Amino acid sequence: MHKGKVYKMVAVAMLSSIAYVLMLLDFPFPGLPVFLQIDFSEVPALLAAIIFGPLAGLAVEGIKNVLHYGLIGNLTGVPVGEVANFISGTIFILPASYFVRKYRTTKSLSGGLVIGTVAMTLMMSLLNYIIILPAYTWFLHAPQMSNTAMLNLITIGIAPFNIIKGLLITALFVFLYTRLAPWLNKQAQPTV
Amino acid sequence: MLDNIIIGQYLPGQSVLHRMDPRAKLSAIFLYIIVVFLANNWLTYAIVGVFALFTIALSRVSLRYIYKGMKPVILIVLFTFILQVLLTREGAVLYDLRWFKLYDGGLRQGIFISLRLLYLVMVTSLLTLTTKPLDITDGLESLLGPLKKIKLPVHEFALMMSIALRFIPTLLQETEKIMKAQMARGAEFTTGPILQRLKAFVPLLIPLFISSFKRAEDLALAMEARGYRGGEGRTRLRVLKWTGKDTIALFVLVVLAVGLYVLRTH
Repeated sequence: MHKGKVYKMVAVAMLSSIAYVLMLLDFPFPGLPVFLQIDFSEVPALLAAIIFGPLAGLAVEGIKNVLHYGLIGNLTGVPVGEVANFISGTIFILPASYFVRKYRTTKSLSGGLVIGTVAMTLMMSLLNYIIILPAYTWFLHAPQMSNTAMLNLITIGIAPFNIIKGLLITALFVFLYTRLAPWLNKQAQPTV
Repeated sequence: MLDNIIIGQYLPGQSVLHRMDPRAKLSAIFLYIIVVFLANNWLTYAIVGVFALFTIALSRVSLRYIYKGMKPVILIVLFTFILQVLLTREGAVLYDLRWFKLYDGGLRQGIFISLRLLYLVMVTSLLTLTTKPLDITDGLESLLGPLKKIKLPVHEFALMMSIALRFIPTLLQETEKIMKAQMARGAEFTTGPILQRLKAFVPLLIPLFISSFKRAEDLALAMEARGYRGGEGRTRLRVLKWTGKDTIALFVLVVLAVGLYVLRTH
């Protein structure tokens, strides 16, 4: 879509707004710890990253999390969860954005999303182990978790959570994008 | 489904806190968070607490709203309290049941952590209670201004934040309208197997996205028609004003921080 810089900026803002609203509609997934909630706020970010480029996707992820921190607040007073969400979302959307913008096929979309899911799961497991879980225990002043306890939580909670979240969003987004693409392509043509 | 979501909790008022510059409030909150993490004994926790109560009194916000803001975290506070009491084994034994001993250190640790969480929630919710969301983004833009020097798009980011904020209520309304329209046609959002529920989301999201793109087009056109050309040299309807009370507030917080650093147990 080539409609100028202002349009791009406003559209990204609108998508961030949708992302924030979708973030509020989160739900726990049966069988996973309750503090890991699934939401579809990655969908507008993906759309922004595919239509306007990776930086736009990054902006949606950023604005959504800043709004969430500012409007809802955080239990530790320090935005650990928001930072985690920002990192995981960014890793998830970038591969899909790259492949779709390069090859423009449905296969590249689903392939990119699956790669994103795998990358997000690996990265978040690692980050939880070295930064996020220790940060939570430090801010809540909970007793330090032992390395095996953290590994346990990661293998039964965090890794499956990221895989399930990634696959659910992949399924939803493929449904959505195949129906939305014709309209988007029509918009991209010069009208005047 | 969407009724009980609060968007911004600003309460109009004329108190000192309401009239303070958002930049001063943001910096003060930032300092306060650091100060709360400095506290580590009875005296310092008491000082930080008195300060929190004093700011609440200054804001003239009724305690009912403060309590409402704290409700979601009370469960978490209780949970961490119990965890601390059960798992810390320090100090003298205060109470001895056969299967569980209550330690002096555990109780103290539990009270401290619960207080820390409560203070943080109380003071940060005061910010949103006494400051309009748009003033907060204006304040942020101004505070982050120096980052423009290293080519970070601070103005664009702040503008996108304001637009996103402005359209949250509109979008909530629209989501609800579309949901009702689809439900009237027999759509089910809350029952059925996962894959079916996912598919039910698609006819909800497509109209939402398309109408947002159209709205973005209108807004961009309106902005360009009014001569919007980016942040450079843009004038404002509401100009932030830094006054004496802002300087005093920051000064008080710096004194508080230094005082706490001296009084905390090293």
